[in-house]
Amino acid sequence: MSAISLPRRSAEVHARSQTADWRARYFNWFCLSVLLVFAAIWIIPLLWAVDTSLKPDGVIAAQPTSWWSGSWTVHAYQELFNLGNIQVWYLNSFMISLLSAVFAVVACSMAGFAIARTRFRGRRFIYGLIAAGLLIPPQVLIVPQFQEFNAVHLLNTYWVQVLPAVAVPIAVIIFASFFNGIPAELAEAAHVDGASWWRIYRTIYMPLSKPAISAVFIFTFVWKWNDFLWPLLTLTNTRTMTLPVGLSQVSSSFGIQYAEIMASAVLGALPLIVVFLLFQRRIVEGIATTGIK
Amino acid sequence: MRAEDHLLSRRTLLRGAGALGLGGLVSGCGSAFATGIAGVGPAKNTLSYWNLLGGGDGVRMIAMEDAYQKAHPGIALNAVVLAWGNPYYTKLSLATLGNQPPDVGISHLTRASILARAGLLEPLNGTELAPYGLTGGNFTPPAWDMAHTDGKLYAIPLDTHPLVMYYNTDICKKAGLLDQDGSLKKLDSPAALTDAFTAAKKVTGAYGAVMSINNDTATQWRIFSSLYYQLGGSVLADSGRKIVLDDAKAERVLSLFQDLTVKQGLMPTSVDYPGAITTFATGKAGFYFEGDWEITTFETTKTPFSMTAFPNVFGGRYAVQADSHSFVLPKDPARTDAMRKNIFSFIRSMLDQSSTWAQGGHIPAWLPFQKSAAYDKLRPASDYKGVANYARYDDLAWYSGSGSDFENIMGFAIAAVSAGQMSPAAAVSDMRSKLTQYAKTPSPV
Amino acid sequence: MSIQAIPVETGASATARAAAAPRQRRDEGRAGIGLAAPFLILYVLFLIGPTLYGVVMSFFNSSLEHAGLGGFTGPDNYTQALTSSDFWQSMWHTVLFTLMTTPPLVALALVLAIFTDRLRRGRWFFRLLFFAPYVVPSAAMALIWTWLYTPQIGLWDKWLSAVGIANPPNWLADPSWAMASVALATVWWTLGFNFVLYLAGLQEIPRNLYEAAEVDGASRWHQMRRITIPLLSRTTALVLVLQIIASLKIFDQIFLMTAGGPNYATRPLLEYVYDIGFTDFRTGYAAAASMLYFLVILAVSLVWFFISRRQQKEA
Repeated sequence: MSAISLPRRSAEVHARSQTADWRARYFNWFCLSVLLVFAAIWIIPLLWAVDTSLKPDGVIAAQPTSWWSGSWTVHAYQELFNLGNIQVWYLNSFMISLLSAVFAVVACSMAGFAIARTRFRGRRFIYGLIAAGLLIPPQVLIVPQFQEFNAVHLLNTYWVQVLPAVAVPIAVIIFASFFNGIPAELAEAAHVDGASWWRIYRTIYMPLSKPAISAVFIFTFVWKWNDFLWPLLTLTNTRTMTLPVGLSQVSSSFGIQYAEIMASAVLGALPLIVVFLLFQRRIVEGIATTGIK
Repeated sequence: MRAEDHLLSRRTLLRGAGALGLGGLVSGCGSAFATGIAGVGPAKNTLSYWNLLGGGDGVRMIAMEDAYQKAHPGIALNAVVLAWGNPYYTKLSLATLGNQPPDVGISHLTRASILARAGLLEPLNGTELAPYGLTGGNFTPPAWDMAHTDGKLYAIPLDTHPLVMYYNTDICKKAGLLDQDGSLKKLDSPAALTDAFTAAKKVTGAYGAVMSINNDTATQWRIFSSLYYQLGGSVLADSGRKIVLDDAKAERVLSLFQDLTVKQGLMPTSVDYPGAITTFATGKAGFYFEGDWEITTFETTKTPFSMTAFPNVFGGRYAVQADSHSFVLPKDPARTDAMRKNIFSFIRSMLDQSSTWAQGGHIPAWLPFQKSAAYDKLRPASDYKGVANYARYDDLAWYSGSGSDFENIMGFAIAAVSAGQMSPAAAVSDMRSKLTQYAKTPSPV
Repeated sequence: MSIQAIPVETGASATARAAAAPRQRRDEGRAGIGLAAPFLILYVLFLIGPTLYGVVMSFFNSSLEHAGLGGFTGPDNYTQALTSSDFWQSMWHTVLFTLMTTPPLVALALVLAIFTDRLRRGRWFFRLLFFAPYVVPSAAMALIWTWLYTPQIGLWDKWLSAVGIANPPNWLADPSWAMASVALATVWWTLGFNFVLYLAGLQEIPRNLYEAAEVDGASRWHQMRRITIPLLSRTTALVLVLQIIASLKIFDQIFLMTAGGPNYATRPLLEYVYDIGFTDFRTGYAAAASMLYFLVILAVSLVWFFISRRQQKEA
């Protein structure tokens, strides 16, 4: 490379990189504006719901559109709490989701560990059976499951929700494949020390599996909180309903009291949005890693 | 280090808030918690009551509930309003199967029979009812009969709500349809009906009459069946296993529909339930056909109107489609005699408030009020009270009843004729083929 | 555990293990079964059991409130389902819903994810905004969107009348518009999930690929077409199949927003099963319809299973 051609080449490169810079910046601005437009569209339904819930009832049907009606009031929320049902629904949803998530983590991690790290007769068959269960969507089983729970008188209890939530193959597979990634030497070494399998599972493998635990816990919790069809069928007393079922069944009694209806929607949406705000990273990581699997 | 500290403090904050919140919730909802964990029933001094009454009916029912609660402060009334139609009855059935039914619920009498056959209702014992006055002599005979299934009593009727005819008094006066004393001339033939509508149309400049068509199978069925019953027809027999639809009679009624809507333009061919109300309320139609419950709506819009029995258009033996609201006790193995006493006292309290209920247009089934002078004073509600004795309930079948598949099948075909989308003959064959599928299916109850 | 200890111990432990092999293996076997037992018991009772029971029930005339199986009907339930226009229409509604929601949910999520990935800061903001609807329960979402769609006083109609469109269709009560309205609400509700999956996939693409293309003078669009989209093919396949299977299970939104109406114009297959089984009490027939429904979902799952196996073999 002669000294004469260098400056020319760097001038060309400089010119090209300047155009590239300008194009890149234009492109970035384009992306940002499109994103902002869609973000605005996406936030509108929730904002409008909150806005409606804080308006006095008489103003809501008025035209034209107004985001601000002249006065705010929390009357709609007060009325909901006075009716007394929403607190019970919160409790039911919380207990069911919590029990489901805890039991799912415990039972499925134990099973996942057994399959991944222990050898027993029929292990292959059982693994195949569990994998086959992946193909069975729970919606297909609503009729026979209802009959089953009816026969053992477990309808309208927490257990009719919690027990099927534990019997989920994907959770076992998540744990099994995660445990497979933990070196087997750890187990062997502890074994030589005389540790029982239970201890190995509890003190070595589980502490190392926080991502899998949080993924299964969060998924089960969110799934059971938002579950609709199964609780609709099995939790039919207004005192045993979960939040989604209660909201949808009782909203018809409000008629055209839109503030109350929107207040109930906001109260229904709020818990998990708060959970999401607090555990954003974990939740997103969980989706990403299990999705790839 | 800083992130961890932040995380730790957030976690402890969460834990603290969670414990507080959970503690508060559990203490406030202890019984619900117990139910969730162990299936324990609700506390003894609560009375849970489900109904499907919205709109104006709902407002009136709430007023009656409040009066009951004031008179019985020791009992906590837990009233729940659920969506009308199939969803209500599905929920009631599922709750009863789930052993957590409400203590008392509203049921249409046509549906109560099906629930009774399915073993979901508790039969009512005459000796237990007597102290509360809930005996046969105090109720409208057709309703009392309908409340029995296979000889046993399963429901206590609250009212009879027939199809009625609303008419705009101003428009009818201008059209010359009112007598000297202001009452409507009798419309007891198709010709009289058509003439009246034509006269009304001249006055309104829009329509002579209006009925709800779009997405409203119930109204279409009610009007059709009233006319069809007047011709002496039935649709189902043998608990729905046989179709006895009389094609000629059905086509005759449907041709009348088609004539009034499509051919002569005396009634709109496309209007939904709220639209029909608006059309009548704003004076664009002189006549309106619907159940008796819209009386309050038109009182609120200050439309000059009155109501009368649905006309005996075909001139034979009078009949009109009706159903009744009634109180039923869903089966509950944990129900005690004390609970039952509370329930009967509640039912009696509701019946004692028949005056409030009747102001909503329904004919009270409770004879002590129906025969009283106070009821006579309610105008125009008491004008059609005689209709209660001619009420014709829907034919019994496991797929029939208020808001049922049967009503949807029939109503859909009838609406298609009213909207000009199907000919009467095609509609009748559509009804027959769809009903046959249900008739062939063995009954699940 | 010292490093020197291991080789010695291994030798000793290997012999010890070999000597004690049967007992340890039995302990291991027992431990394995013991650990797996709680899950397995629940699994057999509440997944495998109901599946088998459902298959058996579909051959009987079972009813909701009578215990036991009812009369034997053989394949009658299946023939009735396969010849029932209600069954096929419900199946079609489910498929139509899937066709209406899958393309926007896949394509729009991809585009928005690519744009978001471009940003250096503020990515969390858009992730939050697009994903927040996903954690809202279906009941709350249905209440909000039904209110938005309310004739005349709902927000959409208010805006339309403000720009001069006086007679918009009745979004949820018009048979021609109901399904599209529910589909639109669903896109708002569930886009966030695919968006996050795509973001994760985008993060896996090495940055230096872009830089190299940059030096070669490729425009942003060119880069997107030649680098980003092809390298996302695995994620796209995943998103696509998850979306299709999720859409086939549709129930909540339609039940809540249109109740399957108007006049059953939007009723999906799962709601048909609900109506037949729990409103009409005919659980045997509902079980048969469920089994046919299961076959459809199974077919889609198996197609994806074989496609992804082939992809893995190629990779």
